[in-house]
Amino acid sequence: MKTITVIGGKLALICAVAAFSLGLVNAVTAPRIEELRLARLQAALAAVVPEGSAGEYEAVAESGVVRGYYPVSSASGEKVGYVLRLVGSGYGGDLNMIASYLKDGTVHSAVLMDNQETPGLGKEAEKPEYMRMFKGTGGEKDVPYRKSQLPQDQADAISGATITFSGIGRALNTGSDFAAELGGTE
Amino acid sequence: MIREFTKGLFKENPIFVVLLGLCPALGVSTKVINALGMGAGTLFVLVGSNIFVSLLKGFIPEKVRIPAYIVIIASFVTIVEMVMQAYAPDLYNSLGVFVPLIVVNCIILGRAEAFASKNRLLPSVLDALGMGLGFTLGLSAISLVREFFGNGTVTIFPIAPLGFDGIIRIPLIYQSPARIMTLAAGALLVIGYLKALLNYYEAKKKDAPKNEKGVKEAALAE
Repeated sequence: MKTITVIGGKLALICAVAAFSLGLVNAVTAPRIEELRLARLQAALAAVVPEGSAGEYEAVAESGVVRGYYPVSSASGEKVGYVLRLVGSGYGGDLNMIASYLKDGTVHSAVLMDNQETPGLGKEAEKPEYMRMFKGTGGEKDVPYRKSQLPQDQADAISGATITFSGIGRALNTGSDFAAELGGTE
Repeated sequence: MIREFTKGLFKENPIFVVLLGLCPALGVSTKVINALGMGAGTLFVLVGSNIFVSLLKGFIPEKVRIPAYIVIIASFVTIVEMVMQAYAPDLYNSLGVFVPLIVVNCIILGRAEAFASKNRLLPSVLDALGMGLGFTLGLSAISLVREFFGNGTVTIFPIAPLGFDGIIRIPLIYQSPARIMTLAAGALLVIGYLKALLNYYEAKKKDAPKNEKGVKEAALAE
């Protein structure tokens, strides 16, 4: 009995010291990590907003595809579209995205943010060129999320990372419906 | 003493000779910069955990030594993760899940169990440095080959004053890279060939002195 207490005590002591030192490191790095996260969000927002400026953020849901949105208004104050925070599901887990839509649900642009896709394959979707194939879809044309919906040259470009592609496509599609609904009611 | 350091580089290179830590070696060796970052992270964890395991070897009870080692290792990994996230976010993003996975990198637990828990501080640190550098070296070699052929680029640090973005593009290969190299299969191929190459030189080195001796003996017999 006594040895067990001693052994357990020693292990607990090691754990306590480890936890304490981790807390110290966290206190130093956490503010900077948060700062970086916000900066990335701002940069992504600036990149996707069509002409005009983004308004106040409105949260929609904690789970699901559409997490929240920013309304976008033109210089004259007219509402021109929405920027949505989307979470799709990819090959390596969640695909965090920022996407801007016109009022009728047409995709204006999108940026893939935090994700765990495979480097060299799914991660290619982080490049701005990748999102170009979605631009202009969602209104009259459907947002592509199956390979067969793409022209041949683009279908080649996504081969090897089809799951990432359809995850992004599906999320953008849901976002498009959401934006069109918002745009219709206002 | 210096042998504790140099053995990790080639003679007991963790990737090519001991064949440990293959999981991260396959996973992050798609870009040279990732390999260097991963190597640096692993080196730090290895040195940190070896120091503490060596210092605490009298304190840690035999029965719970593995949990104790894991706690020590996991703490250092978490530190690396947090610091990398705060100060090298791009690297952190591209390494992704492999940073937390350093915890289960068998090189680290292996060195703690096989070396640091039986040796004093200085040899343990040297052992960790050698093994960590050996791991980085192996990882860099694999990623150099893979990125060169698989992507047609070599990505290292960007140097702002020179207007260099850190990516060297290889003409011809950049336009039509051998994509298989960036996949896991390519990694295994490269590791296999590099290991074969290393074995070839090792075998040659072993043969060389034998032959010399043989020649001398032959000369004596005459």
